[in-house]
Amino acid sequence: MAASPKGDFFDSSRAAVQDRELQRKLESASTRHLDHFAIVKAEFPLYEAEKDAAHRIKTDAIAHLDELLIQLTDKLHANGCKVFFAENAEQARKYIVDLAKAKGATRVVKGKSMTTEEIELNPAFKAAGIDPVETDLGEYIVQLRGEGPSHIITPAIHLSKEDIGHLFTEQFGIEYTSEPEKLTAEARQRLRAIFLTADFGITGVNFAIAETGTLIVVENEGNGRLSSSMPDTFVAIMGIEKVIPRLADLSHFLEILARTATGQKLTTYTSFISGPRREGELDGPREMHVVILDNGRSAMLADPVLREALNCIRCGACLNVCPIYRRIGGHAYKSVYPGPIGSIVSPNLFGSAAGYLPFASTLCGACKDICPVKINIPRILLHLRWKETEGERPLKWPAALEGARAGARRFAGIARHPRTIRMLGRLAAQMLKPFAHNGYLRRMPSPFSNWTKYRNFPRPHPHKRRPASSEVREP
Amino acid sequence: MAEAHKILATIKTALEAGERQQYLDLANNHAPVVPPTRRVPIAGPEHRAELATSLARELELVGGKFAGIVSPAELSNRIVTLAREIGAKVIAIGEGASLDMDAIGEALERADIKVVKAVPVADSERLTMREQIANADLGIAEAEYGIASTGTLAVISTETRPGSLTLLPTASLIIVQIDRVVHDLAAMLAAHGPARLIEHRLTLITGPSRTADIEKRIVLGVHGPKALHVIVVWPRDE
Repeated sequence: MAASPKGDFFDSSRAAVQDRELQRKLESASTRHLDHFAIVKAEFPLYEAEKDAAHRIKTDAIAHLDELLIQLTDKLHANGCKVFFAENAEQARKYIVDLAKAKGATRVVKGKSMTTEEIELNPAFKAAGIDPVETDLGEYIVQLRGEGPSHIITPAIHLSKEDIGHLFTEQFGIEYTSEPEKLTAEARQRLRAIFLTADFGITGVNFAIAETGTLIVVENEGNGRLSSSMPDTFVAIMGIEKVIPRLADLSHFLEILARTATGQKLTTYTSFISGPRREGELDGPREMHVVILDNGRSAMLADPVLREALNCIRCGACLNVCPIYRRIGGHAYKSVYPGPIGSIVSPNLFGSAAGYLPFASTLCGACKDICPVKINIPRILLHLRWKETEGERPLKWPAALEGARAGARRFAGIARHPRTIRMLGRLAAQMLKPFAHNGYLRRMPSPFSNWTKYRNFPRPHPHKRRPASSEVREP
Repeated sequence: MAEAHKILATIKTALEAGERQQYLDLANNHAPVVPPTRRVPIAGPEHRAELATSLARELELVGGKFAGIVSPAELSNRIVTLAREIGAKVIAIGEGASLDMDAIGEALERADIKVVKAVPVADSERLTMREQIANADLGIAEAEYGIASTGTLAVISTETRPGSLTLLPTASLIIVQIDRVVHDLAAMLAAHGPARLIEHRLTLITGPSRTADIEKRIVLGVHGPKALHVIVVWPRDE
């Protein structure tokens, strides 16, 4: 499910904005999430200190990424793992699918992993005649619907319990119920049978400790534990940015991740996996593979502004506070990673098709305020906008927007001359006065009608003072 | 490994192009990594009551069930009572980290409860053993550590104490010794240390398996145990 052409984003977001039911579900889920977060944050006086520590460690780790990845690889080898570096999605897919074929797997159990969504692993499995089973309840539900996740933490956030009840009736022929307890029990029973005999498992990775070669998988349901400990072959897939130096660094991240992601102090299960099972052990794979994925991340690393986005620990909090996400939901973004963080990573992971996403923001800064690793998302959005319009490979804009750009250029030319702009301002104020109602213009002629289609325009006022440039703050 | 070298070279170039030093300075100019309040040693005996109370409270907050503080001599009886309370007919156990699990197993058998004991298995016996543990009503394991501030139990997986014991049965009972209860996660990780992390798989367990994927409503027992019971063992003479 790579990012689709821009036309799709414009269409899908326009359609989603009209979907009141979707907004009701998103508002209710986001509000509940933020309420929980406010409570756990208030109860934890060290929150800001842990945020600082996490930000510092991550920034430091990214600056030493080359060394840390070498150390991690050496340790993983010493622990008995096989390590594969994948430059792009295709290499990662091929490695994993070939491995599954070589093991004779007909079915694969998957813990929740956005990285496998990023590389579009499921379609590749299906093409090879292998059945990929998503086992996170939310992922399982969206997979049954033939969709992708609409939120990086809560994949089925766009569905009501009634939607899911009908889905289960259709798919399994069971009696309709919308009770979350009964629906969950049904999924448990079906997935448990699959887990007990699964021979190939995949999960993502939240953190990788270079010092010991240990992968950390954080989850609530237990499907990550099952996917990584039941099958004989286990593949963990991680982006190059997941590595942290030492075990002692980890607590700073775990203390903030669950709090911002779900309003919990810690997630239910945190697994520390260093290698395959040993002689006589019941649990753990016989063979463990670690796929370390670049897929555009090193290009982000080379850009001093964008590099900060690699700090992301995928808590999903920026989605929950984003006024755009809360109106249009995750699917409208047409990218695996939606919301504010998605808008800054997608153009690099999926190319220019997602180049329009940095513009899908009001730059309100709520994402920056909530980010537990202090990523300045608005600053990066502006940087990407600049790259997309003035940078080396500017986007091809639709004609209407090209017109707006030309207009903005002309305005910029005029705005450089204070006397001219003041004169024009006075002129406009005089001319528009008869059309104003209560200080606002309800309709303006084309091309300005695009503005008044959705909102009123304040009547230009000849005496209104403009802020001096020194008062304009950067986000 | 051609890909590995290529990617590592790309990363190195990217870092150098992006003024690594400037970035390092940014990293170094922040507050100290370890907040000052964190530099507390593992709490001494005088803090035990406080730690046990906090562990119990936090456990209940995440949907776990605190089954009390008992002396080593009372432990077997308490477990038999608990097994009867929840109606467990089959119980899976392994070896303890410090406790005598065989004594517990014998007490359960005397109470007419079937006991499945996890033992080291050959590859060919794995599925059978797993099936037996999965069919148990209760799995019993001893934790390496308890974390008071979050209500967390840290268990390791070995050939005589498989992680399955805390994952596959319908309910889970985790026992922790009072002197293994620490204040917070940082203290627990420091006490465990990097070397043991490589030897055995470690799992932190904070409450029963849960999901909030349907309208953010919390439902317990989606994949793992539906209930988590915790007993703290505290010798009487301390």
